[in-house]
Amino acid sequence: MRPPPGRQQLSREFITQHQRARIISALAEETVARGYRAVTVADIVRRAGIARNTFYENFSSKQDCFLATQDDAVEEALRRVVDAATKVESWQERVDAGLAAFLHYVASEPALARTCIVEALSAGPASLARYEESLQSFIPLFRIGRKVSKRGEELPETLEETIIGGIFWVIYQRIIRDETGQIERLLPELVEFALTPYIGAEAAKRASA
Amino acid sequence: MAADPKASAQSATDYPPELSRLPPGRHGLPREFVVHNQRERLIAGLAEAVAENGYASTTIAHITRHAAVSRRTFYEHFSSKDECFVSAYETVMEQLRERVDAAYQEQEEWPQAVRAGIGAMLGFLAAEPNLARLSMVEALVAGPVVVERYDAAIRSLVPYLEAGREGRPPEVLARLSPTTEEALVGGMVSLISRRIIAGQTAELEELLPDLVEFALTPYLGTAAAAKAAQGS
Repeated sequence: MRPPPGRQQLSREFITQHQRARIISALAEETVARGYRAVTVADIVRRAGIARNTFYENFSSKQDCFLATQDDAVEEALRRVVDAATKVESWQERVDAGLAAFLHYVASEPALARTCIVEALSAGPASLARYEESLQSFIPLFRIGRKVSKRGEELPETLEETIIGGIFWVIYQRIIRDETGQIERLLPELVEFALTPYIGAEAAKRASA
Repeated sequence: MAADPKASAQSATDYPPELSRLPPGRHGLPREFVVHNQRERLIAGLAEAVAENGYASTTIAHITRHAAVSRRTFYEHFSSKDECFVSAYETVMEQLRERVDAAYQEQEEWPQAVRAGIGAMLGFLAAEPNLARLSMVEALVAGPVVVERYDAAIRSLVPYLEAGREGRPPEVLARLSPTTEEALVGGMVSLISRRIIAGQTAELEELLPDLVEFALTPYLGTAAAAKAAQGS
């Protein structure tokens, strides 16, 4: 018996979503296993257990799929960071909660993290540019710190960019050393690093403890 | 650079055709010099070609055209584009390291030394936009052959900051974490790369006060770091 039309439509949408997610996770796993350059659409299709046609219904090329993977991961990371940050009151707590959520995401999705934080840098100019843009999306979360800082607008204009760049560099180094599983241990150090320029090292140490 | 023993055994008449592009009268130059000169021209040619086309689209023909040498000469020096790139990368990084180190060593006080080192780095990159792009952006795009060297080059900056721990009061040392220097260096490099990607290489030196303040804050506190950043 055929399901009622409304239900069928819903399940088609569900299947499409599900396929897309499977392709993205297959791309991440293949990228980690072979390195971005060596991965082919055939590898992704095989790992995802889908037809080649299905891949091309979702993405125009391997690169298109890679960029979509980056976008999805950044969107999810931001969602988690904002969710966690809005559950607490002060800016200091928000930085702590947001970073905790981010590190937890990285630790729980090692293949995706490696793909988007390490491989993205060497997957070509489009991907590198996308990576750089994605770092910018975290700027507002830090910039609020200028309101609680005594030095406020005297702080260097580029401060947020350097803080975010530094945090990502430390995470990058842990991923290439295969220490992704222990990345959440870095939380107090990274929170302190981020807060110090705004509220001073002593207050930052207290807030990160 | 070590001379190729086979090359030095060759007579003057075996000089490659591109030597004729050197000014007249130079034909008597030793082979070793010519070889070295060709290698440098190839490296400069690669930097120009990569700046123009990006690493992935750069071909050996682009490199030899910019270097004004023959394809055969290219293969006398390098077996592939990757190998030429690695050589170029190492040459650039060596020059950069020398400048940073010389500027840093010249200063008595650590905060001024950090300021001088960062200034030397920004000055070099701003003056050499092709090399800046090659070393800070294309090195990543070039893929696995260079990425490890890139990571190592950035890590080699860590000791300059670590030196700042010396002589700090115990309460400062107690709160500095093992990743402080790593995060500082990564943050600075990330900002510099972003400006190069955005086509703002010529204005890199304007970042000096920001970067100095950022680097010194964990050691000196915000007020003293801001003062040192202004060069006072």
